[in-house]
Amino acid sequence: MEIEAKPYRLILSIAKWIIPLVFLILSIRMIINTPDYQESAYQVKGWFGDSSAYEGKSQKNIDKLAQKSRRNIASLEGRIDKLKPVKPFIVVNTNENRFSLRNAAGDTIKTGMCSTGKNELLISGTKRIVFKTPKGIFTVRNKQQARPWIKPDWAFIEDGLPIPSARSSERIDYATLGDYALEIGNGYMLHGTLYQRFLGLPVTHGCVRLGDKDLELIYNTLSKGSKVFIY
Amino acid sequence: MNNKLVFWIVTAVLGVCFCYILTSTVILPVFTKSVLPKVVVHTVEEKDKNTKSSKNADDSAEASTTSSSKESVDKLIELKKKEFLAQSRLALATEDSNYLVLDLSSKLAIIELKGVVLHEAKIIQLTLSNSIKHHNSEVLTNWASEPFSVKNIEATIPKIVFFEKIAPKDTLEANKMAQEPKITKQGDVLVIMDFHRNLRLIISQSELPDPEGLKAITELRESYSKQEVSRSLDAITHLNREPIKPQIEIVVSKSDATILYKSLPLNPRMILKF
Repeated sequence: MEIEAKPYRLILSIAKWIIPLVFLILSIRMIINTPDYQESAYQVKGWFGDSSAYEGKSQKNIDKLAQKSRRNIASLEGRIDKLKPVKPFIVVNTNENRFSLRNAAGDTIKTGMCSTGKNELLISGTKRIVFKTPKGIFTVRNKQQARPWIKPDWAFIEDGLPIPSARSSERIDYATLGDYALEIGNGYMLHGTLYQRFLGLPVTHGCVRLGDKDLELIYNTLSKGSKVFIY
Repeated sequence: MNNKLVFWIVTAVLGVCFCYILTSTVILPVFTKSVLPKVVVHTVEEKDKNTKSSKNADDSAEASTTSSSKESVDKLIELKKKEFLAQSRLALATEDSNYLVLDLSSKLAIIELKGVVLHEAKIIQLTLSNSIKHHNSEVLTNWASEPFSVKNIEATIPKIVFFEKIAPKDTLEANKMAQEPKITKQGDVLVIMDFHRNLRLIISQSELPDPEGLKAITELRESYSKQEVSRSLDAITHLNREPIKPQIEIVVSKSDATILYKSLPLNPRMILKF
């Protein structure tokens, strides 16, 4: 009889240690997963019985509050609309090198590829020149057809050429900007390109380059004062 | 006999530890209504007071004993939700920075500037923590009634990558320099944003990461898990019951995740629409 009971007792004596072991495991798990445990408590819906701030209010008061709220919504949305562009505008996505031309109502007229800044730091002696498309909201300040490009110093530095004087004719380039250019301030422009194959890639010195047909449509759609959103 | 004593001592000690940890980390925070952060902006009542001015007094005087129906209260809460959303959008639209609108009902993550939608990212998978899922609409409306400002943001990709180029000495060297554009490889994306009012937003990509990306993603997730464990230990040792951290995890395409992270300013603000 005793011989049969021994293994049974052994199993029992080992099995009883499961209880403290479970306590230990649960304690450790709780420390590691506190947020999860807390979050699990929320599965019991209505546990907290959060009472409404409107509880006990009369129907008349609720109606008045609702009316007031509707008026506020209309007024706030009107104020948001006033901030939106009143003319057609363009949105430039520098991450994907894409543009979206939209009408004043915000509906898309045309989407397509463009090229934006190459995010490059040109180091020349002590000079540091950053080629990057600025982000934010800009305004078309000027529109020009067949605008010559007055090459800045960095264009010569990048080509390994000596920098000519400020009024030198060497600075004038009639081809690079394409047929149309729209200035958005600080020397940045939306313009054409000789390198149509690079459209969709970040290759510019900060300007936004567009394909010929897209550029023509943008030139004809946007006017002075139109907004340019770059993100 | 000795063995029995040891068993009971160990069981009792671990049992007490278990009860203590359970109480301090789960039961107390939950039952003391450490529900959503106490830093909650104005309550609906306060907001009404702000906008109502003197009219309020007349209303209370007119209050009849007929109590409102649940349906009309629900409608009012819906209107309040829209009103707070419009207020938040107006507040951010008057600024010159991009902001994020997280539309949980339409499953969209939207980048806006001046009220104009710049980019819409479709949320492929949305995971909400229970504290958001199971709270009543009114509590959530109050909690999300003002834009969220970011406290800390970490990501597996850099915000911006700059290539350095030494200017060529002459035209020969300039010509030698590659004419083809340099394209950076898009890294795998995981972004963790901690906002005020304890909200945590996790943006991850739907595409499987490459081994290098997976390593970066795992490292970032692990570092956050470690923070959570130390927070829990702190809560146990100091009994400082922190409010619950509601969490939203969105899975979007890799390109959308990149755009969302790179397009937002360093200290982005967000509106929660649900």
